[in-house]
Amino acid sequence: MKPARFRYLRAESVDDALQALADNPDAQILAGGQSLIAMMNLRLVKPACLIDINRIWNIGYIDEEGDGVAIGTLARHNDVKHSPLIRERCPLLTEAYESIAHHTVRNRGTLGGNLCHADPSSEAPAVMIAVGATLELMSVHGKREVGAEDFFLGTYETARRQGEMLTEIRIPGRGADGWAFAEISNRHGDFAIAVIATTLRLANGRCEVARVVASGVGEHAARLKPAEDALIGRPIDDARIDAAAAAAAGAVDPHSDSHADAAYRRDAIAALTRRTVSRAAERCG
Amino acid sequence: MYVGQAIRRREDERFLRGRGRFVEDITLDQPIAHAAFVRSPHAHAAVTRVDTAQAAAMPGVLAVLTGADWTAAGHGEAEGVWPVKDMSGAESRTAYRPLICVDGVIRCVGEIVAMVVAEDRHQALDAAEAVEVTYEEKPANTVTARALDPDTPLVHPGFGTNEVMVTEHGLKAETEAALANAHHVTEVVVPTNRVTAASMEPRAYLGHYDRVNDRYTVWTTNQAPHIVRRYFTKSLHIPEHKLRVIAPDVGGGFGMKLYHYPEEGLVLWGAIVCDRPVRWVGTRSECLLGDTHARDHYTVGRMGFDENGKILGVKFETLAAFGAYESQWQASITNAYHFTMLSCAYDIPAIHTTVRAVYTNATPVDAYRGAGRPEAVYQVERMIENGAQEMGIDPLELRARNLIPPEKFPYQTALGISYDSGDPPALMEKTKALADYDALRDEQAKLRAEGQWMGIGISAFFDMAGAGPVKMMNDLGAKVGCYDVASVRVHPDGRITVFAGSHSHGQGHETTWSQIAADRLGCDIDHIDLVEGDTDRVPMGIGTWGSRSLSTAGMAVYTAADRVVAKAKRLAAHMMECAPEDLDLADGEFTVKGTDRKLSFAAVANASYHSGDRPPDLEIGLEETSFFDPADCTYPSAIHLCVVMVDPETCAVTLRNYWAVDDVGTVINPMVLHGQVHGGLVQGIGQALMEECAYDAESGQYLSGTFMDYAIPHAEDVPSFGLDAHFTRALGNPLGAKGAGESGTIGAPACICNGVTDALWHLGVRQITQPMTPRKIWRAIEDAKRASH
Repeated sequence: MKPARFRYLRAESVDDALQALADNPDAQILAGGQSLIAMMNLRLVKPACLIDINRIWNIGYIDEEGDGVAIGTLARHNDVKHSPLIRERCPLLTEAYESIAHHTVRNRGTLGGNLCHADPSSEAPAVMIAVGATLELMSVHGKREVGAEDFFLGTYETARRQGEMLTEIRIPGRGADGWAFAEISNRHGDFAIAVIATTLRLANGRCEVARVVASGVGEHAARLKPAEDALIGRPIDDARIDAAAAAAAGAVDPHSDSHADAAYRRDAIAALTRRTVSRAAERCG
Repeated sequence: MYVGQAIRRREDERFLRGRGRFVEDITLDQPIAHAAFVRSPHAHAAVTRVDTAQAAAMPGVLAVLTGADWTAAGHGEAEGVWPVKDMSGAESRTAYRPLICVDGVIRCVGEIVAMVVAEDRHQALDAAEAVEVTYEEKPANTVTARALDPDTPLVHPGFGTNEVMVTEHGLKAETEAALANAHHVTEVVVPTNRVTAASMEPRAYLGHYDRVNDRYTVWTTNQAPHIVRRYFTKSLHIPEHKLRVIAPDVGGGFGMKLYHYPEEGLVLWGAIVCDRPVRWVGTRSECLLGDTHARDHYTVGRMGFDENGKILGVKFETLAAFGAYESQWQASITNAYHFTMLSCAYDIPAIHTTVRAVYTNATPVDAYRGAGRPEAVYQVERMIENGAQEMGIDPLELRARNLIPPEKFPYQTALGISYDSGDPPALMEKTKALADYDALRDEQAKLRAEGQWMGIGISAFFDMAGAGPVKMMNDLGAKVGCYDVASVRVHPDGRITVFAGSHSHGQGHETTWSQIAADRLGCDIDHIDLVEGDTDRVPMGIGTWGSRSLSTAGMAVYTAADRVVAKAKRLAAHMMECAPEDLDLADGEFTVKGTDRKLSFAAVANASYHSGDRPPDLEIGLEETSFFDPADCTYPSAIHLCVVMVDPETCAVTLRNYWAVDDVGTVINPMVLHGQVHGGLVQGIGQALMEECAYDAESGQYLSGTFMDYAIPHAEDVPSFGLDAHFTRALGNPLGAKGAGESGTIGAPACICNGVTDALWHLGVRQITQPMTPRKIWRAIEDAKRASH
């Protein structure tokens, strides 16, 4: 009994949850609870009301959708991590899961909860932006879609409005895109000091599309456009990779804390960009 | 024979099935109330107002108590059992850790301002939030290296300084001369990072006062329950005979659970005031903040070598953090365990050390697995490594030239300590073979040519374990007698209960003490039960710490069992009409030598209690107690060797290999020994690579309050360990056993730091402050690049 007092509502269906959200403007959704409950136990957050969605039976799916994937918001991290469908159609996410949290946390934590929590050093937001995922948000008034790139607005801050619930994450087909994920943390599975998730598409030996996405070095995961610009329209060779790495380092404005200082984070971003771009280029086609 | 066998731990059945019984599991026939604490968020502040009215009126609240109530009740403070002693004879400046803020001054984050007692934990926490405290913040210092700077705020202005005391040891003039005449002098600045034990079970206490019988009981997460009674004579002024202390199963202590923490005294106070049992179970954050911290030395060292790399002399100047107050055993580090071990495994003719203990606005520092020895080994080994690199001598070879040769044992160090036994060159040979050292150096050269950074680290050391003897430890400052106690009680059916003054908190005494007793008593190990951790059942005890239990309490078991056998033999001889010397005892039977005449041990046990037919001068009963004062400390030794890989781009360290060769004398149970070495290594690796109790240098705010901020190694962060052993017999106890609990934490930080230094030496890196996180290594490389331009 460590958290402050709160009301607890259990939703049996998505409609149930949406109605509860509409009726209780002071409520927060409880998904896997791996961040929320810890913060409540520390009394860093004191939600007046929790709406528990864990009993909703039909929102934990991982399904084919066209040549992409649709993931229900309550899919547990370990289910996503070990999904053959994800491995085939979004291997970047599978690779990222090698660095996401620890086994017991992944057993309970959910992808949807992780994205809505929007921790600035979280890995999944970077992956979602890199693969161009779309997030489906629902409320009693209807549903809308937001691109992952537009979803993350700040530290613990997203485009999700009051009364809305993230219901589905849609990842488009990969085609022949290359991908790579790399992270630095003080201990494997911990919050990242720096993350880069990269996707590349080559056409006739030249880079046609590039997404270089950073996490852990700003208020939220974000594309590093200068790094992408350094790649687009050119063959990916060592000189391009170095240029992209330098551009990536110049594009971030990281913070200093007890785990890492800004200068190190910037250098780390360059190193991770170099690694992910060269690995993604090898994986194209 | 059970001794020497890797038999499975008898206690693991209940632990693995979740049936252990810890303080939080205790139930009583009265409902137990819960305590919650109001703690200072500031490192240094004046408390100008404490308003408890709103909290006191909240549902379920039984009492809200403050320092004013404590003072009005006439209660005191927790006195040190190893009080600060300034070797110069000057009065040392002692300020014991208060249980609750009584003087209106906060000196570290987390200091307790008020206690709420309520019917349940939730109510207590809610009410604690409603206690209004007004603080007037003051400038704070948490940085040890700055403690004695002229403009640093004073933690205790009444002393006029942040210096607690100064101690000096060793040969000053000889050391200065050695350094002056040396062919090469290495200087290293080595801060030892502040860490904490982070035991699996958080601290927890349950206090109860029985008004009818005027008896107090405390259930506590403690490693030395009899010493807890001593603390309470000063804090709550309870005489030792009126207090029962029970330490049930304890989930890890590592020294950190030896002390009289504020919460321990306060829950019993709450129980007295509320006339209800009161419990507190620490949260992880409360424990990371309030458990004693450890290490936090800042040392400048100089080591002189001759042209062959032989060490001529070494000088240390150390600032040792006490934190905001003196914790009960703190001075055992500065005054007994640190300076004594500065010769490590080396034959060094001249050593001189000066230690200035200092106050900072941080959590008190006290002993944690190794206590002073990890600091000492780190300080010495960093200089040896850099010396070897600077002189261009292979680091293992330079060490080998300086190891104490076996013929010099017992070896008297330049600090006046005498190592009874050991053979460091043999350890080195085994280590070298185990690791295939020459092949590693070849691999390192090959990888470096390919741009990969591989490093090889080494550390070699002695440990001072097994405290006492009583007199020696008294001379080093201890106010508690460092012996230990065991009773062996044979029941009329021949089954046996052993009572020991040690207290297992993970060490496996139920297995190892029973192995010793079963061998001495010639009985089946399953016929023996062990009782520890209850002052009403065990006559006396000094507890489990400093790798001492085996060579004190374990030897008391050995001695008491032998006394039981001697008495039983007299009775058996009487019954069998022979002489006691004619009897053998094995497999639960007395046999007359050279005959087939037998009498069961159980029959003799029964007769000892229920038969009138006995020698006239033989007392009834079969129970013996031994207060065992060892003839000497034990001096286990070890050599560690590791391989690290440093990622040239990210600067992340991977610990690829780790080998350790230990000399712990006689081994009771090799599996338990390996468990001790493994656990210690992981904690030492944590200190080297990731653990740090960090404070914001400006505000004094604590930054490591959760396991997201304080990293301890996971299984996947450490390699599979390669272990070997070498045997020399300890001379201070009949089994020849040496302590084995601390080798890992003592050797690993130095070994790994030397490995990383070795990997980066060619880049100009000379020293990296632990924990060696990627950004620290990156920074060290950047600084080296800048310095070379």
